[in-house]
This record gives sequence, structure tokens and C-alpha cells, in this order.
Amino acid sequence: MATVEDHPDANLLGAFVEKSLAQVEQFRVLEHLSRCASCREIVSLTATQPGIASAVSVAPARAGWLSWPVLRWGAAVACVVVVGTVVTLRQQHESLQIEPTISVQKPEPEKQISAPSSPQSKNAEDMTTAAANPTVTRQTARAMKPAGNNNAAASPVEMADAGVGSRLAEVPGRAKAAESQDALSMKAPGNTAQVETSGAVVVPLVSTNLPPRWTLSSDGTLQRSRDSGRSWQTIQVADNTIFRALAANRLEIWVGGASGALFHSSDAGQHWTQVRPVANGEALADDIIGVEFADTLHGKVTTSVQEIWITADAGQTWQKQ
Amino acid sequence: MPRQDFQPEPGIAARLDALMTELYRKSKGEELGLTRQQFDSVLGEIARKYLTADAAHHDVCELYTSLRAEELVLARACAAGHERAWEIFLTRYREKLYDIAGYITKESSTARELADSIYAELYGTTTRDGQRTSKLASYTGRGSLEGWLRTVMVQEHVNRYRRQRRLVSLDEETEEGSQFAIPATEAAIAVDPRVEAATDEVLIALPPEDRYVLASYFLDERTLAEIARTLGVHESTISRKVDKLAKSLRKQILAALGRRGMSRRQAQEALEVDVRDLRVNIRSRLAQEKGGGAFSKKKAEAPADGS
Repeated sequence: MATVEDHPDANLLGAFVEKSLAQVEQFRVLEHLSRCASCREIVSLTATQPGIASAVSVAPARAGWLSWPVLRWGAAVACVVVVGTVVTLRQQHESLQIEPTISVQKPEPEKQISAPSSPQSKNAEDMTTAAANPTVTRQTARAMKPAGNNNAAASPVEMADAGVGSRLAEVPGRAKAAESQDALSMKAPGNTAQVETSGAVVVPLVSTNLPPRWTLSSDGTLQRSRDSGRSWQTIQVADNTIFRALAANRLEIWVGGASGALFHSSDAGQHWTQVRPVANGEALADDIIGVEFADTLHGKVTTSVQEIWITADAGQTWQKQ
Repeated sequence: MPRQDFQPEPGIAARLDALMTELYRKSKGEELGLTRQQFDSVLGEIARKYLTADAAHHDVCELYTSLRAEELVLARACAAGHERAWEIFLTRYREKLYDIAGYITKESSTARELADSIYAELYGTTTRDGQRTSKLASYTGRGSLEGWLRTVMVQEHVNRYRRQRRLVSLDEETEEGSQFAIPATEAAIAVDPRVEAATDEVLIALPPEDRYVLASYFLDERTLAEIARTLGVHESTISRKVDKLAKSLRKQILAALGRRGMSRRQAQEALEVDVRDLRVNIRSRLAQEKGGGAFSKKKAEAPADGS
């Protein structure tokens, strides 16, 4: 019998991803995966491919009382009422305020220069922002740690403190924000609203009508504002990379920089993927000075040597002009 | 009968035979040149691979029922060189091979090379004892054939990447004049051994799924979405689990330190050590096998059989 003390073969790993194994075998493979980084890598790369056949639904694990249709729709209606009331009140309040003039929603090839806060206050501001902002990435959280811990991946023990800059301070917030945002987008448009979650934590939400604003600082770092430009947070995309071009369209963000560095996020900067354009066997290696994306799929990258690289499938394949 | 090493009772034997007859019918083995006897032999091989010799007949039936019989027969017919089977395989999977390779490598020429290489192994360009050996002969129908192909390609890609990385590292070391460079090690910082022992105790006791989530998130730095997709749950579920685990681990480590003679205050202060040390400790406990080399020695020695 093939035990999982040895590495599970492709049959078992593939079946594990598809949830085709019996419960006991599934447990044994999982036990091996919990100890083996190599097999975890294989499984992760296999599971995250598009079109993977999986017998398991990705619905939230907690069905509970929400599985009752009446209660589910009742909760949805209640959300609509609450959100609608808040939105109406907010709109009345905001109609008395001055309209912000800066917008980064339109994709622009040129670098946008902003004025970040001073170095002394920046770290404190970032730390506070990280605690309040649940969607800061893992790298940003690391960058925000006190000096001496900048290269540390946080341990579970440290995260349990849930202090400022802690990754796990972001985790429940991110989950709750995602859940609340789904409710908001499903029900009513509007400006920033607050919805009380099941854990009695009030989480600021980002309205679907006012996506975050983006800019690049003079030293080539990416910055985001969730309050119409009143304050900006540095978003760590990649170490030691200077960005000079930015394209933002609601949740889709593209940043390009030195030596062909090109990164993409489809969730407003929560997660980033490096894209390496290649055309006819040649990789893009020059500095990127312009990025334009008309929509999710169609984009154009301009380099410092006046090359133009075009994609029609969100960066999967490229052509060079 | 599929298994040579046991004699089932007549009633059970009849039920098993009926099940296998039905599976053979569904698999369309006859159309692809696989006789009933050959089909039974394949099932017996799979049973011996995944079940113990004293497995209950119920387990045997359950295993057989769970197999993807049609895909299993297709794969084995291809491995045997059946022309019609290859026509079907190419129609269904050839484009998918290139799509999968493209998604894995993110680069068209590397993808083509990877797909062509896998295709050659599937077709069987190597021979053993004068007979062509095809990687498809190692497919056992536990999951879909497409899922197996994905996993095989990922394995091959990862192995290639690691081999190349080792070569590149050696070249760089030679150029820099340090041909046999000593691997960089993290700076040693004194940590109370009781903290390490407590951490070990707590991590060992975690159930496999919790250890998997922690290892994926903190060691492999996978995103919540990636972990969720692997486990077949919603991202928010993983998010809550990580949060809950971290809080629970802290409490358990504090309790374990208390059992080791520390007061509550001492234990809390002990946990305020440089996080890099705890990370090293947790990493060494969670990651017992490094992923730096080839996937496994077993695989490096016998890559042809897909295991």
C-alpha cells in the first residue's frame, strides 16, 4: 500500500485537489502536506489553475441558520434597509462638502507625483493606517514593523498580539470587509458606509462608486488613498522596485517600473502578481514608462526605448510593436 | 478475479464480479481494445497499490466505485499503443496540455517545451526491457485524467525550475570567486529553550489541516485565496481560521510555558522575544522537509512512472 510517509504520487495529489479521495485518505494526504513544503507547492500550483475540476463547492463553510431561505432573504432585506439609510444620510452630509479635484480612476501613462507625509510621521501614520485598514498586504505589514523586525515574517505568536502592523490585525478585517462589501455591492450603491458585522466590529467599507485612488510618489513607491485623497498609504508591491507608470481602473491596478518590472492586482491592491511580458521569445527588460489599460483585458505598456507591448488577454500573452 | 491474494466468500465474490462487470461496461474498454481480463488485472493492480492485503471487501468495492473507469481505460489503452485511444486522447487533451503548461510557466516558449516534453513521456519514447513505457500506465483513475495531467506537469515544471536554480547558483558562486560558498545562516540569537519547547509542543498537537494552513500561510506565503482554493473552502473561512489559530496558539504556548515553571508575566515577557527566532523555530517544526532540491529522491530516481 502506498503510504503518505512517502510523497504521494500525482494520482493521490491530483485526487486530493479534486476531493476525490475517501475521507481517511484525504486526511492522510493532508497530514503529509502539513509537513512537506515540496508537496504543498505542487498542490498549490495545481489547485490554483483555472478550470480545475473540484467536487467541493467554495461556498462559505458556515451555512448554519443562513441556509434557511427565509432568514437569508430577510437578512439581505435588512442589509438593504440599513445601507440605504446610511447612504442617504451620508449623501446629504457630503452634498455640503467641497468635491475633491484629484482623480486617479482614468488610466494614465505618466507618473503621478504626490506629496507623501514627512518621514518622521509617515511610519506612525502607516502603522495606524495598517491597524485600521484591513486590506494592507503581507509585505506592507512587514514593512510597517518597527526597525529591527523588517525582514521578519510574523510568527503566529506575534500575530496573536494583534498589535499595530500585525498581519492578523488585517485578517479578520479583510474577511469582514469582503463579506460586508459583498452585501453592499449586492444591495445598494452609495458612498462609504459602515455595517455592523456579526462580531460587533464596525468596519469601514469602500463603496463601489468610490474606488481607492492611486498614485506614485517621487521615489517610485505606489500609494493608495481610501478617503478621496485626504491621506495616502504606501502599498508595498515588490522590494527594491521603483515604479514609474500606473494604470488604475476600479479594482484593476497595473504598475510598471525599472527593468521591466510589471505587477498587476485585480482586487484593489490586496494581492499582486508579477507579469513578465514575453513576445517571440524575448522578454521585456527595459524600464517601463507607461501603462495603459482600457479595460480588464486590453492594455499597452511603453518602455524607455520606445517599444510598445500590447496584450488583449490581461497580460497572459503579449505582442511587441 | 482482480486480486490473487485472497478468496472472497461466494456471495461477496459475485457482488464484486457484478460491480467489475458494470465498471467494464461503463469504461467502454472493449471499444479500446482492453479485454475484461486486462481490465480486471488493472483493477487488481490499483487495489494492491492503495489497499492493504487484508482490506475489507467493502473497501475494495468502494475503491473500485470511486475510480474514473472510462479515463482509466483510455489511459491504459494509450499506454498500450491503441490507435483509437490516442485519437480520443489527443482530441480531448492535447490543447489542454498546452493551456496548462502556459498557465504554469506564464511564458509561451517554455510552456511549449514543457508540454512537448510531457507529451513525449505520455506517448512513451523511452523503452524498458525492449518495451515502450508510457507515463500513462501510471494513471490509476483516483482523480480525473485532466487533474492527473495538471499535477504531472506541475511536478515536472517544479523539478526543472529547481534544477536550473541550482545550476544558476553555482555559476554565480564561481563568478564571484566563492565556488563553494557557505550557505547563509540566520544570526543566532539566544532564546529561552522553554519557549522553543513550548512552541514545539503546541505545534505538534495541531490537527493536520491547521498545520497545513499555518505552513502554507506563514512558511510558503501563500495567499488566503490560494489556500482556500486548495482546501475547497471560501477565502473568508481560511481568514477566520488563521486568526483563530494565532490567538489559540498564543494561549496554548503561554499555558505550556506555565507548565514549564514560568509565571504568567514571565511567559508573556518571554513571548516578546525577537520574532525571527520564533519564526526559525516554527519554521523548523512546521517544515520538516525543505523544498529546495528535487521534489523527492524517490521521484528523481524514477521520474518515468509518474509517482
